[in-house]
Amino acid sequence: MLIIAPYAQKLRNGKENPKNYPYWKELVQEIQKNEHIVQIGLEGETQLVEDFRKGLSLLELRELLYESWMWVGVDSFFQHFAWKYNKQGIVLWSVSDPLIYGHDKHINLLKDRSYLAPNQFLWWENTEHNPNAFVKPEEVLYHLDYKTK
Amino acid sequence: MDKVLCSVATRGRYFTSLPLVLFAILNQTKLPDKLIIFDDNDEIQDMRKEPLYQHIFSILDFKKIDWEWAFAEKKGQHHIHQRANSLGYKWVWRVDDDAIPEPNVLEQLYTYATEVSKVGKPIGAVGGSILTMGMVSTVDQCTGKIEDIDNEPNIQWGLIKESKFVEHLHCSFLYRAGIHDYNLGLSRVAHREETLFSYGLFKKGYDLLVIPNCITWHLKSPSGGIRSETKEEMYHHDEKIYRNILELGDRTPIVLNCGLGDHIVFSSILPDIPNPIIYGCYPEVLPCKSIAEAQETFGDLDQWNIYKKMDEWGWKGSLEDAFRKLYQC
Repeated sequence: MLIIAPYAQKLRNGKENPKNYPYWKELVQEIQKNEHIVQIGLEGETQLVEDFRKGLSLLELRELLYESWMWVGVDSFFQHFAWKYNKQGIVLWSVSDPLIYGHDKHINLLKDRSYLAPNQFLWWENTEHNPNAFVKPEEVLYHLDYKTK
Repeated sequence: MDKVLCSVATRGRYFTSLPLVLFAILNQTKLPDKLIIFDDNDEIQDMRKEPLYQHIFSILDFKKIDWEWAFAEKKGQHHIHQRANSLGYKWVWRVDDDAIPEPNVLEQLYTYATEVSKVGKPIGAVGGSILTMGMVSTVDQCTGKIEDIDNEPNIQWGLIKESKFVEHLHCSFLYRAGIHDYNLGLSRVAHREETLFSYGLFKKGYDLLVIPNCITWHLKSPSGGIRSETKEEMYHHDEKIYRNILELGDRTPIVLNCGLGDHIVFSSILPDIPNPIIYGCYPEVLPCKSIAEAQETFGDLDQWNIYKKMDEWGWKGSLEDAFRKLYQC
């Protein structure tokens, strides 16, 4: 079983969080061919797979994390949570800097540092969502394949 | 050499003690690298038009003292001091607008600050005697410890005969900048601001010193000055914050007014922080008191805002290391 944590916190201005990965549908379609996926998140978020577990407690998340062999997510609390429990995963970066907010333990996929927000410490409401800032699903799949081998 | 900023906060003293203070600064045996006069007057004036100030500014230029006249936000002198604290200088010499330093004061303060730091713990701040004629105290027996603050005169109110480590300072002193923030939760009157600030340096592990042969004359006046507010509730408000902070004793306040992920990252450094008392948003990650309680206790939480701090520091390292820097562990 593989966990996906697809969304960062909702923004107060209603805009798309610039950390949200734009190619989940394509990515999930490919992974699902061989793998059961559990999506974690909150009520109101777009459902990407059949098994969508909303509003889990930290205890429940930890149990789920231990059951999984892998997880894929964006830069949200979950990557820190998995780091705390020593569980490696894939983090899909765009505008936030993995050198500041990331953990070496994970596979940190950043397309290019030129897409990073110039100021890393402001509200993300000030940054536009840019689909070009993310790696394509093929690259994520490559790293997943590598992990299985 | 480490750079020294001299910061003078002024209000209501354009034509009384401020010119004397500026003359005393430009007559120091060690000159500051920069002088900033923070003008907090309700009705500001262009002092370049005043003959007396024209002379002062010309002499500053003649002596090649980099100086600046900055307009303050009218929020109280703690906001001014925090501006000075965050300008990137290694040391800040804060001089009140009614405090006239003898010519050797900065040299003495700086020498002690830098020389004592070489042999012991780093010095956080150094102060000399602040003497008000007619009110000079005998301070030989004073400890300068925070626990004695209500039971003894301030050690700087008397002639200091030998250097002594203390836990808080008063009025004008030289301090290591960028280590501890001023409490911006205080009211405009900023009652106890320097005690809270200097004690904060002490609590962060820096030594505070009072030294001999270093006299500043305090021309205490009933009018003018940065504390010319008279509203009693402001004093009560500030006194409450001050007492709350003193009550913490040797506990280290941790304030996590931030996201869930930040709490998780912070939790990794918690074992390295002595005697913590935590205020936060996610008790399921770390057992904590509420942020509302922190606000009530400290008045302002900006000094613990990790994002503001990383921005100030131009941070390039990890979030975990930023927390380590903030909490000095």
